[in-house]
Amino acid sequence: VSDVFGISVGALQAFQAAINVTSNNVANANTPGYVKESINLVTAPPQASGVVSIGNGVLVSGISRSFNQATADQLNNSQSSLAQLTAQQTYSSQLDNIVGTTAGGLSTAVQNYYNAWSNVANTPTSAATRQALLGAAQSVAASFQRTSTQLNAANADINSRITADVQQINTLGASISTLNKQIVISTAQNGGQAPNELIDQRDQLISNLSKLTAVTTTTDSNGSLNVFLGTGQPLVLQGNTTTLTTVPNPFNASQLEVSTSTSAGRVISGSITSGELGGLLAARSQIINPALNQLGQIAVGLAASVNTQQNSGLDLNGQLGANLFAVGAPLATASSANTGATTASASITNVGALTANDYLLSYKGGAYSLTNAADGTAVAFTGNGTAGSPFVADGLSIVLSATPASGDQFLIQPTAQAAGSIATAITNPSQLAAAGAVKATAAASNTGAATISSGTVVDPTNANLLTTTTIQFLTPTTYSINGGAAQPYTAGANITQSGWQVQIAGTPAAGDTFTIQKNAGGTGDNRNALLSANQQTQPVLFGGTVSINAAVGALITGIGSQAQQINTAQAAQTAVNTQAVNNQQSISGVNLDEEAANLLKWQEAYQASAKALQIGSSLFQSLLTAVQSA
Amino acid sequence: MRVTQSLLQLNFVSALNTLEGNLSHTQNQIATNLSFTTPSENPVAAGAVDNYNQTLSQSQQYDANANSAQTRLGTEDNALGQVQSALQSLRDLALQANSGTVSNQNRVDIAAQAQQIQSTLVSLANTKDGTGEYIFGGYATQAQPFALSATGATYSGDTGQRLVQISAGQSVPDGDNGAVVFNDIKTGNGTFTATAAGGNTGTGVVGATSVTDPAAYAGGSYTISFTAANAYQVKDSSNTVVTSGTYTDGQAISFAGVQVTLGGAPASGDSFGVAPSSNQSVFTTVQNLITALQQPAGSSGSNAKLGNAINVGLNNIDQALENTSTVRANVGGRLNSITTQLSVSGSQQIQLKSSIASLQSLDYASAITTLNEQTTTLQASMQAFSITKGLSLFKFLG
Repeated sequence: VSDVFGISVGALQAFQAAINVTSNNVANANTPGYVKESINLVTAPPQASGVVSIGNGVLVSGISRSFNQATADQLNNSQSSLAQLTAQQTYSSQLDNIVGTTAGGLSTAVQNYYNAWSNVANTPTSAATRQALLGAAQSVAASFQRTSTQLNAANADINSRITADVQQINTLGASISTLNKQIVISTAQNGGQAPNELIDQRDQLISNLSKLTAVTTTTDSNGSLNVFLGTGQPLVLQGNTTTLTTVPNPFNASQLEVSTSTSAGRVISGSITSGELGGLLAARSQIINPALNQLGQIAVGLAASVNTQQNSGLDLNGQLGANLFAVGAPLATASSANTGATTASASITNVGALTANDYLLSYKGGAYSLTNAADGTAVAFTGNGTAGSPFVADGLSIVLSATPASGDQFLIQPTAQAAGSIATAITNPSQLAAAGAVKATAAASNTGAATISSGTVVDPTNANLLTTTTIQFLTPTTYSINGGAAQPYTAGANITQSGWQVQIAGTPAAGDTFTIQKNAGGTGDNRNALLSANQQTQPVLFGGTVSINAAVGALITGIGSQAQQINTAQAAQTAVNTQAVNNQQSISGVNLDEEAANLLKWQEAYQASAKALQIGSSLFQSLLTAVQSA
Repeated sequence: MRVTQSLLQLNFVSALNTLEGNLSHTQNQIATNLSFTTPSENPVAAGAVDNYNQTLSQSQQYDANANSAQTRLGTEDNALGQVQSALQSLRDLALQANSGTVSNQNRVDIAAQAQQIQSTLVSLANTKDGTGEYIFGGYATQAQPFALSATGATYSGDTGQRLVQISAGQSVPDGDNGAVVFNDIKTGNGTFTATAAGGNTGTGVVGATSVTDPAAYAGGSYTISFTAANAYQVKDSSNTVVTSGTYTDGQAISFAGVQVTLGGAPASGDSFGVAPSSNQSVFTTVQNLITALQQPAGSSGSNAKLGNAINVGLNNIDQALENTSTVRANVGGRLNSITTQLSVSGSQQIQLKSSIASLQSLDYASAITTLNEQTTTLQASMQAFSITKGLSLFKFLG
């Protein structure tokens, strides 16, 4: 009879525990990171009773978690990718909006600028149209600057988010290592039974960490977890953590990199490719900085082409036109890790050959190498880096102050600062060069039928450009320039001298003269204004294949495509992530209906065991009664 | 698959976010009448729209250029018309002065009228356009191009001619410089001039002249000299006799591809020079005529001088009229091409606008349909959630 008491009490205790586990599940149905638990019941060892062996009731062997490591890992990976794409999307959408707004946008400003030149060509002496042109030029510069300011603000935002993420990773790392220690101790105390709640908490921290950066984990035999970031940087090894910190980029102090905070700190930005932190780093290197470079390339192209045209004409005061736009020189920065004190300087020699790339100039073992900073591909160059023979590559000229120490590196950014630094360099509208610099005239006394073109400037830097030159025909087929040697005459052929070019056509007579001179007093001339207005369709970028307008259009399309691609990838990853959450929840989540059914089941079992106890009690009572009456 | 309540909740919230995001996007489309507002929604179309907008803006600028040129050419056409009528009046005055019945005093009066016309011409040559620029100054539009002088007028402009771009491949001059309009006018008949020598004593007067064989006239100078009252010989510049003959009043003398008709009675020793035409300013032509008219006449010799001077003047006025007509015809041609271009660009702009609209504008019918669909989906999913949310076994416990 005592068996029935033992069995029933054991069962009551087991079902009480089962009801507790179920209640705990219900209570934690909405707790983040909670993994559904279930009770493990086993039959108690039987008791030999003669020839038969009668069962000895139920025992609680443990409480297990409904957990699948593979599913959890899948969810963590998918969260990493999603956080990365979401971070990238934040900035690609910002950029998309910045360049996409038509009103006040760069494209409109550039178009207005060229139109303003046309208006000046219509009335070159009008102060009003000139003032409007200067205003249009200022608004182009402001447009570049505004865009550049917004992009730099995005970079500053990225810096502060990187700092915050790094702090959070450190906090998570410390918490994980603390939990590791507690789990090891607790497991030992509970006779090998892992403390489910602590493991839940640790898994939840890993999950949080995976939103910041890609994480891989390994479990030690004692139950502690080792955590590695990105491509293998250890964060937690059992009870020890590595702390991370942010350091300025060796070439650009305004951009933060992730580094280990040991004394020999190592920059690990390159190995962080996923999670929000990876997304922030990628947004900076793949979205913001390239956009700044591309914008800068357009700014440099615009400034160079406009200034050359300005220099080729005369302003209202009869002076050769001054530069309309000023734009900052390329940046050439020595790495903060350099051991030598050599400085580098770079200038743009050929706008058409310029790219939107950054370049890394390295000196090692007596040899220089120039690579594309983004992808590391080698870039061909000539020269030896001295002022007399500078390195020349991709439209750039680079000069080093001295031979650097071996291992020194320099980052050359030809266009990164251009969009932010472009500004108008003249303030007086009369300084806009609308007139051609030279005029060519036929002498009134000419008897031949030859005519001369009005004259164009081909080299505004020629010192003799404005010096009066006379072309005299010695015979109808030969001419001399300024009384020089006789030259054969070909009708319509270019005659180039002193930076200008004219064509003489028709039949000249001997003695006919033509004069090329400064276009003095020609304030109503609009030749240079026409050429300036026409520059909008002139290909000045990418080796003379793309006009400024087309480059702006291509920038808009490029940024739009990039944003679209990231949006699509982000949407796809959201779906993947939802699936991963579903999978994980379907294994580890709490279904309340299921728990309700279980509650009923355990309640009934509990009631039945209680009944068994009652029956056992009445059996015992019967026995006592029988013994008393006997 | 095993589904938990919190998952249902999570999935519903995320679906709700997506649906509301879509709805807000459609609403935004309808509010802005744009099928996309950021390039990422349709990068290719965004690039194309930017390109079309640039072309449109450029085309509109070309129209503005064309209108500006139209105004300036209109001013020029008007001025040239007035120059023509002034020259015509001058021609009438010259003809009037050429008739033998006009007294010295009358001629002085005519000279005074010619003087008036001269100042009218100068003021027309100094015409300004609406923006205050001299239209006949070449590039020097801010300095007065013509000023009267003792021998006609000085020109301080240059030979520049400004162009205005009216389409991607077409530029038209928006004016003509004073040299072309007023100065570079061929004398005589446009090829050569025939003039009486200053020392002639007879009454010989140069009449009609013409080129009969352009190939034979090489631009040389010749002298018709009278060896007797009725005998002439023609010599070239190297004093070689080209032809000779008997003079008959009013009969053409032909040589070297040209014809010169002399009238009156030249005296022996009189000579007439034939020289290639040169450029002469219309103001010089008028000034020469005025000077001739102011000389008293009466004797047969002085009458012949006057007649010759007036004939030279008439020839030169005709050349000036012809030159003005040519320039004016050019102006008319430019105005025509501007008008044509404006109508072409008008239809081009309509085309561009419709291209932009087709890429960028919203198809309202489909947008409203989409909005309805999205609203329905949102309502349905909300309803579905409230139904499933109500399902719980706990409700049936106890």
